[in-house]
Amino acid sequence: MRERITQMIVKEFIQTLRDRRRWMLLFGAPIIQLFLFGYVVTTDVNNISTALYDLDRSQESRELARRLEASGYFNVRYAPQSPGEIRDLIDRGEVLCAIQINRNFAKDLKRRIPTEIQVIVDGTDSNTAMVALSYVTKVIAKYAWEYAVNTVGTVLSPPDFRTRVWYNPDLKSRNYNVPGVIASIIMITCIMLTSMAIVREREVGTMEQLMVTPIRPVELMLGKTIPFAIIGLLDMFMVTVAGVLWFGITIKGSLLLLLMGTSVYLLSILGIGLFISTILKTQQQSLLATMFFNMPAMLLSGFMFPIENMPVIFQYITYLNPLRYFLVIIRGIFLKGNGFVVLWPQMAALFVLGTVIITISSFRFRKRLG
Amino acid sequence: MRFLRIKAIAKKELIQIWRDPLSLIIALLMPVIQLFIYGYAITFDVNNITTVVYDQDKSSLSRELVAQFKESGYFTLVAYVDNYDDIDAYLDSNRARVAITIPYDFSKKMRTGNPAHVEVIIDGSDSNTATIAEGYVAAISLRYAQRITTRTVLPVMDPRTRVWFNPELKSRNFIIPGLIAVIMSVVVALLTSLTVAREWERGTMEQLISTPVKPSELIIGKLAPYFAIGFMDMVLAVLVGVTLFGVPLRGDIVLLVVLSSVFLFGTVSFGVLISIIAKRSQSVASQIAILSTMLPAFLLSGFLFAISNMPKPLQVITYIFPARYFVTILKGVFLKGSTLTLLWKEGIMLAMAGAIVFFLAIRKLHKRID
Amino acid sequence: MNQTSAVKVEGLTRRFGDFVAVDGIDLDIGRGEIFGFLGPNGAGKSTTIKMLCGLLLPSIGKGSVGGHDIMTGSEEIKKNIGYMSQKFSLYDDLTVKENIRFFSGMYGVRREKRKERMEWTLEMAGLEEKRDVVVGDLPGGFKQRLALGCAILHEPPILFLDEPTSGVDPISRRNFWNLIYEMSGSGTTVFVTTHYMDEADYCHRLALIYRGKIIAEGTPMDLRERYMKRYVLEIGVERMVEALDILEKKGMDAAIFGSLLHVTVEDVKQGIADIRSTLESSDIQVDRIERIAPSLEDVFVTLIEVA
Repeated sequence: MRERITQMIVKEFIQTLRDRRRWMLLFGAPIIQLFLFGYVVTTDVNNISTALYDLDRSQESRELARRLEASGYFNVRYAPQSPGEIRDLIDRGEVLCAIQINRNFAKDLKRRIPTEIQVIVDGTDSNTAMVALSYVTKVIAKYAWEYAVNTVGTVLSPPDFRTRVWYNPDLKSRNYNVPGVIASIIMITCIMLTSMAIVREREVGTMEQLMVTPIRPVELMLGKTIPFAIIGLLDMFMVTVAGVLWFGITIKGSLLLLLMGTSVYLLSILGIGLFISTILKTQQQSLLATMFFNMPAMLLSGFMFPIENMPVIFQYITYLNPLRYFLVIIRGIFLKGNGFVVLWPQMAALFVLGTVIITISSFRFRKRLG
Repeated sequence: MRFLRIKAIAKKELIQIWRDPLSLIIALLMPVIQLFIYGYAITFDVNNITTVVYDQDKSSLSRELVAQFKESGYFTLVAYVDNYDDIDAYLDSNRARVAITIPYDFSKKMRTGNPAHVEVIIDGSDSNTATIAEGYVAAISLRYAQRITTRTVLPVMDPRTRVWFNPELKSRNFIIPGLIAVIMSVVVALLTSLTVAREWERGTMEQLISTPVKPSELIIGKLAPYFAIGFMDMVLAVLVGVTLFGVPLRGDIVLLVVLSSVFLFGTVSFGVLISIIAKRSQSVASQIAILSTMLPAFLLSGFLFAISNMPKPLQVITYIFPARYFVTILKGVFLKGSTLTLLWKEGIMLAMAGAIVFFLAIRKLHKRID
Repeated sequence: MNQTSAVKVEGLTRRFGDFVAVDGIDLDIGRGEIFGFLGPNGAGKSTTIKMLCGLLLPSIGKGSVGGHDIMTGSEEIKKNIGYMSQKFSLYDDLTVKENIRFFSGMYGVRREKRKERMEWTLEMAGLEEKRDVVVGDLPGGFKQRLALGCAILHEPPILFLDEPTSGVDPISRRNFWNLIYEMSGSGTTVFVTTHYMDEADYCHRLALIYRGKIIAEGTPMDLRERYMKRYVLEIGVERMVEALDILEKKGMDAAIFGSLLHVTVEDVKQGIADIRSTLESSDIQVDRIERIAPSLEDVFVTLIEVA
């Protein structure tokens, strides 16, 4: 039995690696994806092109302007002379954000009259807009607090809110995204390869040939999934190394735990690939089906969009998604140094999910063969 | 060029597509599912931030502060803790993302005119949520300052924000227009790219090239059905987006249709080009298609992730991909009501890209076996 | 340009890297001829036919097909030929009718003639009742005839058939060749490749190709007479395998043909005597020995041994 499985695995490797283009794609594509995702899926917003319309031109208004610049978030490039100019700048996409300080800013401050600062943001990119607003608010709040504390000795002084950021002090989205990319790359690669490999044999006709040999369904399944498990692990190793070396991601937790988590994850992934292969006849179909599964799986996993912000129905759906659990595991290990004590619920969930999927898939697989 | 031959080829492609209902269903269903997910599930909006509070003071002032956080609607109070270890545990295990610590001398300090320090710990793993959370904290601090200063008089700065084009910062408005570009690219990547490669694999291509058919006829004939499918997908997307999700369509719909068609033409031609270049391997064709159309449309077009946030080299690269121009057009027509005067540059880029790819495809299609 | 030749090429050669698939082939095929191209697998038959059809560019060579140059006039050639590839390339997911309609469009069959050609093809292939069946569901013989029909919808003057009968039952093969005769009779030139030696006799003229070169050419009769320097004796014996062994050990050129042995000898009388004595001295009874006309297979085997 072991001999047959080994032979199948060897054959699979030969077939996959013989075509030069294929193995270039196999190992090149994940790296490309890593770089793309790593550099693009950065929700870090910097260098916000800003216009400052200062009608007051007082010491205080200039101080505000200085603080905006000094924060490092804003790039004050324009000093428009009229509201119309502001409109034009935003329309043309030249600035993302415009700040208008009214004529009586300093005077009102001194007279303790609440004074307004107009902040206009281009909302087409709502996330960037939100982040820009966050930054503006922070700068203004800090200035407001320091002004209050320094200029007036009052009866009640406002509290100082000090924020500390844990786990990712530089707030680099990369640290959060790269582990996520690793997780999703494995998913796409393994499901696609596994399902296509099995379907291909069917399409080309060699499946019949295999069935005539004494091979048992279990051996066939193992022979078809193990190679891609190995490739998946290799891919993950490769992408992790690239992530660490190039992007400077650190892994705070245990590598062993990571390996364990990945293996349990692969149970589900390969099970899904197997399942897809039992429904389809042609390679084109299996490609479409893989994408059909992957798209929602990636979106509804917490990879790019936090689950807690989704409508409740969708949150429930994510419980069925193996990627959801693995993301917690991989991010936990990379960023927080989580140990088994914290992560065992996710591991258990993956184990259960994986076992169920594989059981269903094997039933179907046997039926298809027999 | 004989119309007769083009018609024969287009008809054949249509029949073949029709006879593979599974692929067709997936091709039409995927956009719908994507729309639903992006429309309902995905949001960049950040609320429901799980929070724990360590109130060492337990005074009326501290309770008022906590109330401020709750009332903002952004923070979801998960638990009150009474030691630092608990804070560690909650944050480590992802049960809370924010921990507010109010010191024991909070109200005392405030009454005596000394600033009290409120410590807010934020889980920085998801830097996007963390950054926005920081902004919320800053906003709340300003608001809290305002509240307590009604009892004394403090200088107050009040940022009034106005968001243009997308006043409610609905992520949906921002996402769905660009989604149309992604949807159309998916059609290409998964269907069109396989068309020529599949005929080679099955042997019918050899037969085709032994007939007097011209490369241009062959290509146009193959383009037509996929153009139709892509067009249907687009109409579906626009309809669902506008009627179901209420995404505003402020611009001219004719302009939308025309420019979409130009983009579609270029994209489908590119799919055929890929199919020609990948020669005989469907799996290679599909992987190339995914890497060169789907992925860039998703990551590099500005659809979800702002181009201005990317590192400069990547920003330059985005100019190569037509999806980038198309997303600008889509957002402009939907959200800003932009007319051709604003979008002519993008329109020309799309037209040029389409023409180049189309003629390249014709040139590359050799009516020979080698 | 020779007006009476349908196909005239000289020095046709095709290399794939270091491998020479076709090595300096000359052909001169007249109108209405059925020309057979015989050889084992890998000999270069398909490569040759593809070059003649304009599907492959020759590495070296000159000549014309249907009056158009093989190097520069590929597209013109394609307008005047019909081609049936080895895999009967039909669209498996289209029906019989849809395939015919498609190829009618591709070959530019005139609108007025389309219905007529459609009916003709259906009748010829015996598919009148099956016109709405998806081709993938048809048995091999039908596919073959349909593929042929689709190749001649536009009634081309020259027809190229690449192993049209592989994997098809003998009765269908017979019928197929009847069709070819009909077409040749009405003036169509037919160029056929095959590895079935018995089909060679159906052709007007033949060329035997081996390892990219033509090793013999002529009518079937010519080939038998010209190249067969020796004679073939057909022997019926009881213990055939043993007999074969003994004869071979004696240095004789023997082979099994069905339930009989064929032995090639220089001289008939001497040969008969030798064989009889050898076998009978080993206690094997010989039922009969007689001279037969060499089959083309015999010819071929001999020629290859010489080559």
